Amino acid sequence: MLIDFLVNWLAAVPEFAVPFALAALGLLVIEKAGVLSLGAEGFMLVGALAGIGAILGLGDHPAIALAAAAAAGAALSLLFSLLVVTLRVNQVIAGLGLVFLAQGLTGLVGTTQGWVNRPIGGLSALSFGPLSELPVVGPILFRHDAVVYLTVPVFALAAWILGRSMVGLRLRAVGDGPDAADAAGVSIGLMRFGATAAGAALVGLAGGYLSVGIARIWIEGMSGGRGWIAIALVIFARWQPWRALAGAVLFGAIEALIPRVAAAGIQVPQYFVGMIPYLATLGVMIWTCTRSGSRSLEPRALGLAHAREDR
Amino acid sequence: MIRRVATCAALGLALAGQAQTASAAPFKPEGTPKVAMVLYGPRTDGGWSQAFEESRVRTEQALGIQIAVVEGIKESASAIRPAVELFIKRGYNVIIGTAFGYSDAFKELAEKYPKVAFLNGSGTTNGPNLESFYGRTYESHYLCGMAAGAVSKEGKLGFVAANPFGVVNWTINAYEMGARQINPKATTTAIYTGSWNDPVKERAAAEALAGQGIDVIGQHVDTPTPQIVAQEKGIHATGHHRDMKEFAPKASVCSLVWFWDRYLIPTIKKIGAGTWEPSPYGAFLSIKDGGPDIACCGADVPKEAADRVKAERQAIIDGKKVYGGPLADRDGKERVAAGATLSDADLWKMDWFVPGVVTQR
Repeated sequence: MLIDFLVNWLAAVPEFAVPFALAALGLLVIEKAGVLSLGAEGFMLVGALAGIGAILGLGDHPAIALAAAAAAGAALSLLFSLLVVTLRVNQVIAGLGLVFLAQGLTGLVGTTQGWVNRPIGGLSALSFGPLSELPVVGPILFRHDAVVYLTVPVFALAAWILGRSMVGLRLRAVGDGPDAADAAGVSIGLMRFGATAAGAALVGLAGGYLSVGIARIWIEGMSGGRGWIAIALVIFARWQPWRALAGAVLFGAIEALIPRVAAAGIQVPQYFVGMIPYLATLGVMIWTCTRSGSRSLEPRALGLAHAREDR
Repeated sequence: MIRRVATCAALGLALAGQAQTASAAPFKPEGTPKVAMVLYGPRTDGGWSQAFEESRVRTEQALGIQIAVVEGIKESASAIRPAVELFIKRGYNVIIGTAFGYSDAFKELAEKYPKVAFLNGSGTTNGPNLESFYGRTYESHYLCGMAAGAVSKEGKLGFVAANPFGVVNWTINAYEMGARQINPKATTTAIYTGSWNDPVKERAAAEALAGQGIDVIGQHVDTPTPQIVAQEKGIHATGHHRDMKEFAPKASVCSLVWFWDRYLIPTIKKIGAGTWEPSPYGAFLSIKDGGPDIACCGADVPKEAADRVKAERQAIIDGKKVYGGPLADRDGKERVAAGATLSDADLWKMDWFVPGVVTQR
């Protein structure tokens, strides 16, 4: 009985963790370049809409839909970058504005196109033949969709690029000391535009995964605050990719656990349960802030616009 | 979203006797009724708004009139007022709203335009030219609970619900009472998602229920997600708002369906005839008064059970009360005495559950 419960729960964790993981990784990339992006929720919303739109418009091809979701996130990021990198608008205001813009825009487009509550096939679980049929490990490890399996390599790639490659070094230099990077000949604008587009593509992909991979249906505002949790996850992870993945798994586990506790007939207070993800967010924030001595990789120029020779 | 959420609280107060002045005389219209409908969501939302849209079309056909419509008007006065005033400027004199969140704006507008008749679905405000209307949804859920009990192997039913308010709790209790008509050992495990419209949470809830061996899932949330999950898992489901066979032809065995036209047609006729007297407490509609009915039963419901559902539906039309006593809650406390019926005020504030319902606290 307990084993069944655990297997059922753990098997559901990856699907819930992936949107948090991809969104947090995307934000991490953006922030490493020194751009504070509070617009995560907005990138997710356009991703979710683009994903469902691609499927309803072009046929049930989840790969194309996810690519469209990433592209939509990246496209919206160009507007954001134009504001905060080129025009040097306050990044907090621009990020919040972006969320409201995306809420209105996706609601308008989705409802006028008639995409609300239209079920789609979407992503389906891969089958590993006999491996998927194994007891316990089968459901937990071998019955997920392709995005779940690709998430770990994507993290590895991002961690390698950020930590070990020349591009990553320049990107971090732009985020930590833009003046020095500028003096060394790195184009701050180009780097920030590029990092924001790449990161926003990941956040958009996370949104597309919500509509195409999990819900397989679209409604207005369907990201439901997950973008904000991703922002907190990046802080919790202290700008280190693998910690962000761990945090995402933690949140996925909570989200998968909540309905399962109720379905098992365990009587817990409903409002308390609904509060847990946010309580956990606050908890980890406090924990990270009060723990001294640990290495934080927070970019030193995070949230600061760069202007050459402007002190 | 919030449109029906707090209906319970506010309407409950109204029903509990926070008296509003009853109209002394029937509402007298100027000219023939020219009707317009203001939809909360897109008319193709597959649920609440689409049910209104379908009722609008049937009302048009029955009355031989045109009913103008505007969709996607959110629950804020700044969205509602211009939409309604534009209609009034163009000569419309019967305005139909469709959301809980329109209540205050409609009250204001009704006072500002006393010559215009206002109707508001799931609203809470009333006046001499304003009537809110909602349905006794527990009747349909009681009947769908019977269908659910009939298709479940062991009587383990689940229910994906929005929020623990009276308006939702009464559907869960009725569902369980209906199921026990067929299978006295039936249980209903309800999960509140905390939202009317979150397909991700609804899917999580439905999958969790299925993972516990539950084989019929009822719902009182706005997206068809629980139906779709049931179809994927090869189990059954019962729907809300419209006939959910559209989304899950095999899985969906019964649905609550809004037939607002059954209320709107006679009401618009009365407005035209100058005999309309809006109720100061709003119209709280039973099946026979034009409240929600059912689309039943799917092919997997045995004939005998389907006949019993039909018979119970007729019994409700003939006056049977779903919340008639004696009725005790799951802790054994008496809630309705023998021979009595639960009052409307007590319905709206229902926070207790009948035996067999399993919920969060």
